[in-house]
Amino acid sequence: MSTHVVIVGNGIAGMEAALGIRAREPSWPITIVSEESDHFFSRTALMWVHSGQLDHRGIEPYERDLYARKNFTRVRARAVGVDTERELLQLTGNQDALSYDRLIIACGSAPRRGPWPGSDLRGVGHFITLQDLEWFEKEVYGAAVRERPPRADAHLASTTEDSPYLHRETATAKRNRPLERAVVIGGGLVGIEAVEVLRAAGKQVTFVIREDWYWPMAIDGRESAWIAERMREHGVDVRLGENVEAMLGDDDGNVRAVKTDAGEIPTDAVVVAVGVIPNTGWLTGSDIEIDERGGVVVDDSLTTSAANVFAAGDCASVRWHDGTQRPEQLWYTGREQGRVAAAVALGDDARYARGTWFNSAKLMDIEYTTVGQVESDSDRRADWFFEERGEVRSTTRIATKDGRVVGFNLLGRRWDHEVLIGFIEGGLTLAQALDRLHEASFDTEFVPPLVIPNKARNARSAPDGESA
Amino acid sequence: MDLQGQNGLMSTYREGWRNRNPAGIAAAVSIVAFYVVLYFEDKVTRYTGFAPLTGLAEAVGLRNRWYLYGFLYCLVMMAGAVYYLGRHGNSRYNRYRVGANVGVQVTLGFLLPFVMPLFGGTEFYASYFWPLKYDYFFPQTLQDLPVYMAVYTVAGSLVAAPILAYFYGKRWYCSWVCGCGGLANTFGDPWRHLTSTTARSWRFERASIYTVLAFAVTMTVLVAVDFFIGDAHPSFHAFVSGERWDDWSVKTFYGFFVGSILAGVVGTGLYPLFGPRLWCRNFCPMAALLGLIQKAGRFRIRVKKDMCISCGNCTTYCEMGIDVRSYAQTNESFTRASCVGCGMCAHVCPRGVLRLENDKTTKTTLPVVTS
Repeated sequence: MSTHVVIVGNGIAGMEAALGIRAREPSWPITIVSEESDHFFSRTALMWVHSGQLDHRGIEPYERDLYARKNFTRVRARAVGVDTERELLQLTGNQDALSYDRLIIACGSAPRRGPWPGSDLRGVGHFITLQDLEWFEKEVYGAAVRERPPRADAHLASTTEDSPYLHRETATAKRNRPLERAVVIGGGLVGIEAVEVLRAAGKQVTFVIREDWYWPMAIDGRESAWIAERMREHGVDVRLGENVEAMLGDDDGNVRAVKTDAGEIPTDAVVVAVGVIPNTGWLTGSDIEIDERGGVVVDDSLTTSAANVFAAGDCASVRWHDGTQRPEQLWYTGREQGRVAAAVALGDDARYARGTWFNSAKLMDIEYTTVGQVESDSDRRADWFFEERGEVRSTTRIATKDGRVVGFNLLGRRWDHEVLIGFIEGGLTLAQALDRLHEASFDTEFVPPLVIPNKARNARSAPDGESA
Repeated sequence: MDLQGQNGLMSTYREGWRNRNPAGIAAAVSIVAFYVVLYFEDKVTRYTGFAPLTGLAEAVGLRNRWYLYGFLYCLVMMAGAVYYLGRHGNSRYNRYRVGANVGVQVTLGFLLPFVMPLFGGTEFYASYFWPLKYDYFFPQTLQDLPVYMAVYTVAGSLVAAPILAYFYGKRWYCSWVCGCGGLANTFGDPWRHLTSTTARSWRFERASIYTVLAFAVTMTVLVAVDFFIGDAHPSFHAFVSGERWDDWSVKTFYGFFVGSILAGVVGTGLYPLFGPRLWCRNFCPMAALLGLIQKAGRFRIRVKKDMCISCGNCTTYCEMGIDVRSYAQTNESFTRASCVGCGMCAHVCPRGVLRLENDKTTKTTLPVVTS
């Protein structure tokens, strides 16, 4: 008997789930419902399409015949509800509801909207979805110069007003002159990407960050000072500790300035990059449990409160290594959750278990690797910090707790996080970890190795809180 | 130093001449025309009574059009190297590699063969080996070369090249030494993203490159046999080694089709349309041979576990059309026969996931002793 699997979402979690099921069940009908796009693409790569470093096809991890080869049925529509009793997924437009035997919700995140007056003005947007990219490209360059993805507008026949996948008019078109300057709000990864592509396009950029330094969630003041310095070297006007109060518009409804507690910043466009929220508004009213953050609550087997309904990726609220329950909005955890959801939907006794935390990023042209616990609120933790200023510039921060290393925060060089995880799980002391740090080096060939002078080895900063 | 900065890549798809616009097509047509004249000038002269390249060579005091070509090649390569290093020179690997390649080509590929005959020596290209430089393995050529050159070319082709490829991958040749690779990585760099990455292009590559290798080996054997029995078998001799263009022999066909059309006219002429490694990827017998050794050898590209974000920079900028992302996103360290080890995938990776290594045995996770 064949089992109909319906997957809401064509992103990394949904695609991994679909591929995982297809690998084991060649004949199960699999339907992928996607409002955003015909083809799975890497959302983390949108910035390069904007700048012209990659094209749309380049950010698609599989060739476009994947759906035909794997016999996936695609539906471009917005899901608006689930009838868990009759096992039906409801769609808008004149699309029939889909009857499912297994439903995997992998609908990802939506941009968090700005809370300020004027956030609806023309020229204010985000940089999360494919449609955001198109808006942002047109706003900056006047047009999207390269080939759009196939059937870019196919979802418009079946969508709702509150969808994050709607097309937006640009202020640039209305104003009838090219964009000269833009403001980016929000001190996180998407914010710095928006800043970078605006500079790549030669535009003036003001980066407004509410906190006292860039990305306090992940990096400390010393590390962040370097990032801010690098942004300023690239011509970015970085405003730290500045709070947005409103967006101001002109008579045509185009944004003309951002008002902050330090004054007005004239602008032609605003990118609001203040985070993402689970894209789960459409599940309100169903009997699938949603937590206060908007995540679909799942247990360790990624099963929701409803039978035969699973959730994976950004939209799922999972149990973290620290015991809390919240969404985990990362690329590789989305991939892993998609695999687990596939296994569970196939009837396996699979569990999603996150090991030691790690992540990486690129901040302008500075690479970043983090492993373990480096958050500044960890108790009884001390940091060892070294800044290298030779041919290579880098920072190395190692967090210890009770004499053992618990975390690494590393900027400017490449590191193999797996080796560092081994250091943490092996319970190495700081001295042992420093002796063996070279084993984790992942720099390209001929890069001079990191040399830590003896004097720096023995320096210890005071426990956190006193040193900050 | 910005280790992995990618500023030079940002606008690739926003520059029309790099993306098959009319300027790009015009560039391809011009290069094709240049190579047609270069290889077939006698025919051009026959129809027009005019020998443009030979005339130009004589005007600037060079002995023939091939020296003129060598001179132009060096100029274009150096200009391309400036462009390349401006874009990717923030990596030591890129600086050393392109620096070595330009140095080898200007000295061994141009100056030495130009200067040696002036002092009564033999014109000899020390940076080319069999089967790329197939005529160096013809018995007649070996007989005519001074002994040390004959030993150099045989030992270089059969001993040194394979051993180096075993330990360091074919990159030691294809990306650090070779003239075709050198031109591709300098002058051809603006178009590296145009190399097809489809599964279909990979199938074509495998079929075509090993066909050319088989052809090169067969021809070498036939020419050697002909050397010993040709006098007694004139029809066999004509079939294998006939020198007249109008009645084809194995040798003239190889020279025309592989040496001139595939390596020059198509391989270089079509840079602006299909990327700079068309010849190296699909047709070069030396690349085919070294690729097989590379597969069995120690070189690999190591993939860091679970860190790939599938962005596609590696695949897009692989000049050999390898879908690097397909390995990176599945945590699979790999060695592909076609990989010339240019290092661009590792250079452009925004998460530092890839690394070129000369040791396949390094474990992904090193053992950690609990203290």
